[in-house]
Amino acid sequence: MYKLLISLKKEALLFLNDKVGLVLMFGMPILLVFIITIIQDSVYQIVDNNKISLLVANHDKGDLGGKLVAQLDSSGMFKILEKNTLEPNAIKNSISHKEALTAIYISSDFSEKLQNKSQQLSNIILTDFGLSDSNTEKSTQIEALVIQFFHDPVLQENYCYSIISVLHAHLSVLESTKMIDNIYKEIGATSTSPQLKETIQKNQIKIERIVATSGSQNKIPSSTQHNVPAWTIFAMFFMVVSLGTNIVKERTSGSFLRIKTMPASFSIVLISKQIIYTIIAFLQVFVIFSIGLYVLPLINLPPLVFPDNIIGTIAIIFACSFAAVSYALMIGTLASTESQSNGFGAVSIIIFAALGGVWVPTFIMPHYLQVISLFSPLHWCIEGFYVLFLKHGNWNDLVKPIYILFAFSLLCQAIAFFKIKFEK
Amino acid sequence: MNVPLINIENVSKRYKNAKEFSLHNVSFAIFKGDKLGVLGPNGAGKTTLISILCGIMHQTSGKVTYNSNGSKHSIFGFVPQDFAFYDELTALQNLEYFGVLYNLSRKEIKERSENLLSLLGLSSVANKKVRTYSGGMKRRLNLAIGILHNPSILFLDEPTVGVDIQSKNAIIQFLNKLNREGTTVIYTSHHLSEAEEFCSKIAILDYGKIIAFDEIFALKAAHKADTLTDVILKLTGEGYRDHV
Repeated sequence: MYKLLISLKKEALLFLNDKVGLVLMFGMPILLVFIITIIQDSVYQIVDNNKISLLVANHDKGDLGGKLVAQLDSSGMFKILEKNTLEPNAIKNSISHKEALTAIYISSDFSEKLQNKSQQLSNIILTDFGLSDSNTEKSTQIEALVIQFFHDPVLQENYCYSIISVLHAHLSVLESTKMIDNIYKEIGATSTSPQLKETIQKNQIKIERIVATSGSQNKIPSSTQHNVPAWTIFAMFFMVVSLGTNIVKERTSGSFLRIKTMPASFSIVLISKQIIYTIIAFLQVFVIFSIGLYVLPLINLPPLVFPDNIIGTIAIIFACSFAAVSYALMIGTLASTESQSNGFGAVSIIIFAALGGVWVPTFIMPHYLQVISLFSPLHWCIEGFYVLFLKHGNWNDLVKPIYILFAFSLLCQAIAFFKIKFEK
Repeated sequence: MNVPLINIENVSKRYKNAKEFSLHNVSFAIFKGDKLGVLGPNGAGKTTLISILCGIMHQTSGKVTYNSNGSKHSIFGFVPQDFAFYDELTALQNLEYFGVLYNLSRKEIKERSENLLSLLGLSSVANKKVRTYSGGMKRRLNLAIGILHNPSILFLDEPTVGVDIQSKNAIIQFLNKLNREGTTVIYTSHHLSEAEEFCSKIAILDYGKIIAFDEIFALKAAHKADTLTDVILKLTGEGYRDHV
């Protein structure tokens, strides 16, 4: 027991003296949590908390362009900035100068073309119902109506599609209203039914957004809720650089041989390394999660919402740290040199992280990558944390990731054990 | 009849996947109080032989018998060619760590550490990180750790390689002192003048075989040589022993 204690003391001292290791295992992930959370949160806020800035250049000579702008304004989704004198080139210039993220250019004949289009559509309907007089022309050629949409190149494709869809929705309302006006007029009604107009203008079918979690909470996931656990896992696995090098150094130095001549086993050395690095992994979680809980809200980022299942959280933290330590142990025993351990260890963790969903969720990956991601231990770590932090799942949901992580850990431990045992 | 402390009989060693034996039917005896130098060109099998004798690896065939009380671990001291300690710890922290692995008590570790550091001229830097030490200081610490538990048989693999004349002198004087106090010393080196000065017996290895084993004066007389270097050159030739 005393041998284990002195080995733990030695490992702790070695780690505390490893300045590069400390920076890699604590400094780098903390920085990544801040940077990535801030970036993702600002993008998130563009379409969520904050309104999308929309520059409007309304050149329409009629009233429909103004109506469209009023509708967009009343939707609450946009922060409208009207500059009706701007031409397309000037709009591009304004966007490049960050005056707005998006812009629309409404041409001078917008009302005329929309009116014509509505008229043509109402004529078709009236003719089909036999309500049109013989003089009414039934045209099959409907003139194209174009609104130019400009956006900042940094705006992601899905946000652009969302905004265009909103524009389409409001244009449809305008078009439908105008079409009904035309039909009422053609059939000789004195005025359009106000009730019908109101029904068209206000979409009565509500779409309720529900986050699919096991628990009763219905909080929308924030960038913090993904990034804090994800980068903590990355930090845990990045210990391969420090621990792997530590093991290679010990194996290739004379101390490994010296210990072989002593009444002690090298397994004590390896066990003490694993205990110390598991403690370090828990410290990483404590530090990074504390930042998520207490520091991120101070810079207007969403706080980390800690799950109710504390024991489950400790279990998944332990499973992740054990997997990370075991992987580092395996790399440290298989590598012949420190460069091999550092290079392969770091690159493999970056690949595992990319595949495992640390940077982007696995569900948006192509199917074949989703299959490959199942072989990344970081994927199962993230799955475990997602169960608790996003899905508010229970123990049954945690069992699979924990079992897989322990199986992965045992495989790494077995490889390391046999490599050490049969090392020349 | 004088019983050998270590008796080596027909010891052979072939590494996994190697075509040739690194040691081939090596036989000799080591007696208590010997200062045995194991010499030979690069790749002759010196380190393999030392590794087998001190239990780091097993021979492919043959037998090694130890006639001593106590476990091999407690009677052996090993000073490898590489620095076998932790650069980021102090000398005292290193000695404490290895002392515990040698099953020494805290009191024994404290007393012996202070004594050894004083004898080897390292007391003033005992609490400094080893990475700040010179090569000679590191060699002396390497030796101190190997003899912390008062071994009766000490194996040294090139203990003076890469150090200045002062550190070399201090190490050799210290080894002579240990030997006078009863420690049997088995040592490998490429410093033949140092070996000639220090050793009582020499085993010359070449291509994994013992090609000469005797006291130095007897070897010199048998080969009509003035120095140990001449003996070895006569026995192993002057050609390079480069191997990959």
